[in-house]
Amino acid sequence: MIMKTGTMRLGAALAAAAFSLAGSAWADPAPGQYNIGIISDDTGPLAAAGISYHRGADLAIEEINANGFAGEGVTLNLLVKDSATDAARAVQAMTQFAADRTVLATTCCIITPIAGALSPIAMNNNLPLVIYGATREGLPQEPYVTSVVALPGPQEVMMSERLASELKPKRVAYYTTGDNDIFLARAHAVKAVFEEAGAETVAEISTLANDTDFTGPATQGMGTNPDVIMVMTTQQPAVGIISALRQRGYEGLIGTSEVISPPAIYQKSGDLIEGIPFALSFQPGLSDSPEATTFIEAYQAKYNELPDVYSAQGYTAIHYIAQGMKAIDGEPTREKLAEEMWKITSIDHNLYGGQEIVNGQAQIPETLIVNWNSDGEVALWENQ
Amino acid sequence: MEAILDFWAAYSATIAFGLVNSFIALSCYAVLSAGVLSFTTVMFAAVGGFVAAQMIGMFALPPLVAFLFAGVAGGVAAAVIAVIFLRLETHWMALASLALVLITRVVVLNTPTLTGGVQGMLVPVRVSVLELFLALAVTAFVFYRMHNSWYGLVSRAVREDPSVASTMGISTYRVQFIAFLISGAVGGIGGAALATTLQFISADTYFLALAFTMIASTVLGGSFHWFGPIVGAFVFTALPTTMQAVLPEIQDVAKGVVLLVIMILLPRGLVDPRVLKLRLSRSPKTAEQPDA
Amino acid sequence: MQLFLEQLVNGIALGSLYGLFGIGFGLVFATLGILNTAHGAYASWAAIIGYFAVVWYDVSFPVAIAVGVIGGGVLAILVDQIGFQPLRNRKTGMLGALITSIAFLIILDSLAGMATNHQSWAFPSRTYPRGMLDLGFMRIPYMQLIIIGAMVFCAAGIYLLIQKTRIGAAMRAVGWNAEAASLGGVNARMVILLTAFLAGATSGLAGVLGGAATSNISYMLGEGLLLKGFAAVVVGGYDDVRGTVLAGILLGICEVFIAQYLSTTFRDGFTYILLLTFLVMRPRGIFGSGNFMRA
Repeated sequence: MIMKTGTMRLGAALAAAAFSLAGSAWADPAPGQYNIGIISDDTGPLAAAGISYHRGADLAIEEINANGFAGEGVTLNLLVKDSATDAARAVQAMTQFAADRTVLATTCCIITPIAGALSPIAMNNNLPLVIYGATREGLPQEPYVTSVVALPGPQEVMMSERLASELKPKRVAYYTTGDNDIFLARAHAVKAVFEEAGAETVAEISTLANDTDFTGPATQGMGTNPDVIMVMTTQQPAVGIISALRQRGYEGLIGTSEVISPPAIYQKSGDLIEGIPFALSFQPGLSDSPEATTFIEAYQAKYNELPDVYSAQGYTAIHYIAQGMKAIDGEPTREKLAEEMWKITSIDHNLYGGQEIVNGQAQIPETLIVNWNSDGEVALWENQ
Repeated sequence: MEAILDFWAAYSATIAFGLVNSFIALSCYAVLSAGVLSFTTVMFAAVGGFVAAQMIGMFALPPLVAFLFAGVAGGVAAAVIAVIFLRLETHWMALASLALVLITRVVVLNTPTLTGGVQGMLVPVRVSVLELFLALAVTAFVFYRMHNSWYGLVSRAVREDPSVASTMGISTYRVQFIAFLISGAVGGIGGAALATTLQFISADTYFLALAFTMIASTVLGGSFHWFGPIVGAFVFTALPTTMQAVLPEIQDVAKGVVLLVIMILLPRGLVDPRVLKLRLSRSPKTAEQPDA
Repeated sequence: MQLFLEQLVNGIALGSLYGLFGIGFGLVFATLGILNTAHGAYASWAAIIGYFAVVWYDVSFPVAIAVGVIGGGVLAILVDQIGFQPLRNRKTGMLGALITSIAFLIILDSLAGMATNHQSWAFPSRTYPRGMLDLGFMRIPYMQLIIIGAMVFCAAGIYLLIQKTRIGAAMRAVGWNAEAASLGGVNARMVILLTAFLAGATSGLAGVLGGAATSNISYMLGEGLLLKGFAAVVVGGYDDVRGTVLAGILLGICEVFIAQYLSTTFRDGFTYILLLTFLVMRPRGIFGSGNFMRA
């Protein structure tokens, strides 16, 4: 429904932009109504996460408009263009947003190549772009390109330190995604912690992001007799590797990342992923700040399912923009908005109990080390 | 004026990708018009794209100069591939060329010093739509001249019936080898155009999606005249954007259905010289001759 | 030794999926002259249909397989009749059908994405045989035994059908020259429908079994199978079922062993270098015959 009204408004906005006379474009939208463009991933290979990001953003818009978070009488409106995680389509969508003078800011991007392709367009058109999923050092660019997702690493490091000190493993095996540099770096950070603690690396097994069959890698990993197996891969392989390991009868501890946190993953894999620790910053059932509680309830009421880390990031991106809007004095422009957003050092309205921003880059918020329990809920992880 | 400027600003990227895909489709057409169904264009584009990206990165060349190098590199790659592939029977060549697309991705992923490997490469320069247009205009002019040359004639003969062509003393091998060289040069330029339009290229930029875009554009537009691939490239590029505006919920399904319907109704593509000839022959002068 | 044997079985099972999938791809290419890029979509859809049968109607696993296989076959016939049949009389060669198959790939994949809500699903754990057969010196998951068995059954059945029966002779005749075959009294329409159904059904079988074994039922399932199944067809020779199956198994074993003893980095590279070498050195595949139609 949201998408439908969004597109109708988009059509109207484009028509208005195309046919209005000089100078009238600014006065065109209803007083106090401002457009934000989202380049979503509603279809394509990453749609499962993409839909979550998009829903989080939609909810943030509703909340901001209902409560006037973006300023007195200011409402935001989300214009949607689906890129299907295709770089060429994302570039076209971004160019269209840049040309639509009613669009004050944009948000986007799960994967780094697309974020990399869009940020020059944002810079050239003075159009604020908030990245909500892609991570790589140096992505933010003053003042237009910012990121609300912290660079990964510290959370897994914290979890690994705890696993290393509580379990004192002697032999650790690692699964990595060989064709994803971000996850590869995450895996190596984890490995460094265990090696520091004196655990021997018995295997580093590389898989590829598009792999589906993990019987071979599972057999290989179990053949090295590890005490602990760390699965630091992208989502599909992580679920596949864990399933394959458990089905082959591996009983030892497996650790992984937030990729198994979405409720849909538990629904799919059930008991196979129970008791596996992972680290993240937002999880329904554990995040209990007033903002988080409101968000979780609203999300459940609207979509009939629990939000996940991805919807929380989409939500944060919009609130970041709204906070910038609120700080503007007078008629908002892209330049003023970017300037105000770059000044922000902490996103007031967040789900993490605090979200710092340094030079347009979000920092690691609170870290939760959690696991799925047998009731199908996420609980704090305890060494059993 | 304002309206035009706004429209231009909003759709300049779509037009740019239409121009880029025109190169890729023309490269595919170059071999198709000599009777070879081949996906090797994707590999030529990858070669051209990464060569251009490296040249621009190292020597800060302007895009059009980098295009020239990319065209040469694509042509060289095509010469090597043609020697191997032209020994194969047509069905096998189609399969082999598809296999080459898969191999290209693996090679790109495993040569990080040349291609950035899994991280991909940033391209610091964006080509302007005007430059793309000029480059395509020159390329199209070359195709126009070829169409009406000796080469155009013999390549059509080879495509229609290779055995008849060879009894007429035409060397199928030679014609198809030339076709590959043209395909390689144009494909290389297309790859460079894509690189300087996206400003970020990786192994996935030159993969199956590009192969499908290329072949669909060429056949959709019409593979019997050089203007067909250009029309097809623009239609195929604009399709997702249009469908998104019309039927956002089922945009991809709609795109597929449109492709399907066009192919069933016009299996020879949108631009069909045969139909054009029929139309011409029905012009007033010859209108009195039925079934001309 | 146990590790070696278990990995060998892993490789054979994986390769059996490639082979099973590749049989239909090659069959359609050899008999109907269609490079069908939508062949993977049949596998995705069969797995999705089988999954919904289990979840909604609580059917047993064999019934789910049957539903998926028939679903895949029927889908293939629909695609053929809607997308390929109208082009048959118009002499568009391989091109027209290639484009309509791309159109169907786009349509079927995005519909599958909608049907699965863009998520990946798995058969609920108690609905398919998930345990392992313990032989003492090694253990083999039941699913792998089922996959290998299914592949042997299908390959043998289709090989015998093509080589030893009247309808098989008709299929070969159509593949060699459709016009001559129909002049010679072959019911070409029957051959087309049967070929399409067999292709869809085997692709569907590979989809359901692969989806169960890898706990991954999604709209992306077919794409992975398509790339590797395609490699099996090229290495094995598309006009020979035995070649496809053998090449599929070979690829599966290579993949698993290269990952185990060398590195995954080289795995796909090796697969495709093998592919290219075969293309250049032996362009008609392992068993490829020389009796190819030449204009």
